[in-house]
Amino acid sequence: MQNSVALEAKQLAVFYGEKQVVYDVSLKFPANQITALIGASGSGKSTVLRSLNRMNDDVATVKGEINFHGLNINEPKVNVYRVRQQIGMVFQQPTPFPLSIYENVIYGLRLAGEKNKEVLDQRVEESLRQAALWDEVKDQLKESALALSGGQQQRLCIARTLAVRPEIILMDEPTSALDPVSTSQIEDTLVQLKEKFTIIMVTHNMQQASRSADWTAFMHQGHLVEFDKTANIFMNPQEQKTADYLSGKFG
Amino acid sequence: MDNLRKELLRPSAESKQEVSGKVVSYFAILLIGGLVGTILIFLTVKGIALFTGNHFSLREFLTGVNWQPGHHHFGALPMITTSFSVTVFSGLVALPLALVVAIAITEMLPSRVYKFFQPVIELLVGIPSVVYGYLGLTVIVPQLRQMFGGTGFGILAATCVLFLMILPTMTSMTIDSLRAVPQSYRQASTGLGATRWQTISRVILPSAKSGILTAMVFGMARAFGEALAVQMVIGNTTVMPKGVMESAATLTSVLTTGIGNTVMGTAANNALWSLALILLIMSLAFNLLIRLVSRKGVR
Amino acid sequence: MHPEKVDKLATGIILTLAGIVGLVILSLLAYILATGIPHVSWDFLTSSAESFRAGGGIRDQLFNSLYLVVLTMIVSVPLALCAAIYLSEYAPDNRWTGLLRLAIEVLSSLPSVVVGLFGYLVFVLQFGMDFSLLAGALALTILNLPILTRSCEDALRQVPYLQRQAGLGLGMSKWRVTTKIVLPAALPGIITGAILSAGRIFGEAAALIYTAGQSSPAIDYGDWNPFSPASFLNPMRPAETLAVHIWKVNSEGLVPDARAVSNGSAAVLIITILLFNLVARYLGYLIKKKLTK
Repeated sequence: MQNSVALEAKQLAVFYGEKQVVYDVSLKFPANQITALIGASGSGKSTVLRSLNRMNDDVATVKGEINFHGLNINEPKVNVYRVRQQIGMVFQQPTPFPLSIYENVIYGLRLAGEKNKEVLDQRVEESLRQAALWDEVKDQLKESALALSGGQQQRLCIARTLAVRPEIILMDEPTSALDPVSTSQIEDTLVQLKEKFTIIMVTHNMQQASRSADWTAFMHQGHLVEFDKTANIFMNPQEQKTADYLSGKFG
Repeated sequence: MDNLRKELLRPSAESKQEVSGKVVSYFAILLIGGLVGTILIFLTVKGIALFTGNHFSLREFLTGVNWQPGHHHFGALPMITTSFSVTVFSGLVALPLALVVAIAITEMLPSRVYKFFQPVIELLVGIPSVVYGYLGLTVIVPQLRQMFGGTGFGILAATCVLFLMILPTMTSMTIDSLRAVPQSYRQASTGLGATRWQTISRVILPSAKSGILTAMVFGMARAFGEALAVQMVIGNTTVMPKGVMESAATLTSVLTTGIGNTVMGTAANNALWSLALILLIMSLAFNLLIRLVSRKGVR
Repeated sequence: MHPEKVDKLATGIILTLAGIVGLVILSLLAYILATGIPHVSWDFLTSSAESFRAGGGIRDQLFNSLYLVVLTMIVSVPLALCAAIYLSEYAPDNRWTGLLRLAIEVLSSLPSVVVGLFGYLVFVLQFGMDFSLLAGALALTILNLPILTRSCEDALRQVPYLQRQAGLGLGMSKWRVTTKIVLPAALPGIITGAILSAGRIFGEAAALIYTAGQSSPAIDYGDWNPFSPASFLNPMRPAETLAVHIWKVNSEGLVPDARAVSNGSAAVLIITILLFNLVARYLGYLIKKKLTK
């Protein structure tokens, strides 16, 4: 299973109105691995990520294919809600709902109509454990999620996404709003998560990519410049632009 | 895995929610849009009946000075003139005073004063126009009678009532537009050694200009469309006004008193609907004016 | 002249003028309340109006005004809220949406007497509702819809996009995101806007004289069946409101104590609207506090 492909983007092009921001990006995301998308701000990396589970439906026109289980999910006939349940997303800012920790985690399940208390309890524990938050909050599940610290809130959001049991988790700069301690906790969490999930992550933090990602894609001005194993990208980049970016010449 | 593919292609509960949600909310907005269309069409059809059905000349309607529905005379110029007069007068008086109060509150007095006055102004904005009319009837009309003689009813009384009615609205809108001027402008200007008045007159007022103009047009639009408050103090004589102390009638006041006293479908009744059409057209014109004035500010 | 002197002079003039204006307006407000409040008694509030004799009260008018506000809100709140949801959540940024927005703006600029006439033409005559609470409520709905739609839309737009995004990312439908996440967060703004608009229509008169009518037939407060003609709940009966009463008593009334009745009614009207404003402020504050806790 190591090298099977979980998700494939084929000739992806994204337009905001008339303006093209992503050009011809083709990527194969390996299953049960962490893939990092890096690049300067405005390079289109977040746009690519958001296109993968169709979060861009309302704001942009996305052309090209996104293949998931042999199906091009970038088509209007595909049920976009099911897509997002299978390919979950964690955002830059932690956004817990103004509810209890417990209710936050099972939010997606409740809406899907799950009422069985045992199932819900079990799923809350499972998801919180996977997000490495269980030990910290297990005695205050009924308390408001807004009382948690920023790092805890973000892990709660990860747990909330996990509770829907997606296959793939997209993360859009998940630690950029957090302090260094919380950041390293989340990075540790990611490494454990990849046993069960495929993770695709946008980051502006090169250390983060080199520490946690197995694969790295470098994007520049809407183009995919290079995609390889993280070690190769960082130690032995094939493209001059990649080398320049990594050495801090721009970005 | 084939199972998952099927799932991905099948509509789920969410798809149904989405469709019904969109339909419900779209229906609501369409209803409002349709309502507006219906209003415009109905009032236009009724409003032109005098000219198409009763073959009364549009020119005579707009320029004639003789309004005697009983004798088939439908000259609306007196009412049009009076409506415009009271609107312009009250707007011209209210604008500088609203500006003065707004400047005093936002630029000169401590913010505690604003905190106190804001709810008061809100209350004044919310006071029904009938109360302003009643105030005119019991305070302003007797006062004018004492000062100038005559009945006290007339254009001046209506102007005073309308002025009182639109002043709070205009003040509160002017305050909003002055407060929208960035604090950094004030600091930059005083930093260059400008006095407070120089800052106000050269920086703040010019940059709030479109907001202030919008406030004035908005106030005048309200004054033009006000019916009962004016009807209570203007005297309701449908003749060409000769002076501000003379009793007169506006489009709205004739409408309020007349609609109940005429029979649907007669020329006398249709003439009233034509007055209503003028009101409608004017309210659209004011709307357009507000758009123009406020868009200029955005640029 | 020296700039400093001009500054002093301008400041002096502005503050003096502002003071005079403020004083005049506040004293007029005080005058209404001072002449009206002494006349407001329990008897005044609970006895019915007289047509030719002195000593009439405003029980029916006060009830009609409140009932009319309730009826109007029942019709206009769901409609305005749905329209606002469309505008803030679904509307694409195109010409058609611009036209719909323009329509709402046009609606909000219509003089209330024009709306009243339309109501008379369509609801009273065309639909055969006669002078009735229902016709009045529909006319008031027309007045209320644009204001309410705008305040609801503002409240919805103030909810941060992050919250919507979090819900969408979980695979929720937009409609669910709106009703379960956005709406609760926007509730304080929506409620405040609704109460403020209720205060505004409470004092409306011009739109009502030819829709809800200018008469108040005897009604029975013990009859809870809304279909019985004499019931106070019957929406098909004509109903004079407080604001219309003030106008009516003064312009064609025959009661000898018109001044006293109007003074009292005006005071009641203003105090009620003050209450609406205060409740709106307090409720907005309460809910905000509860949500941020």
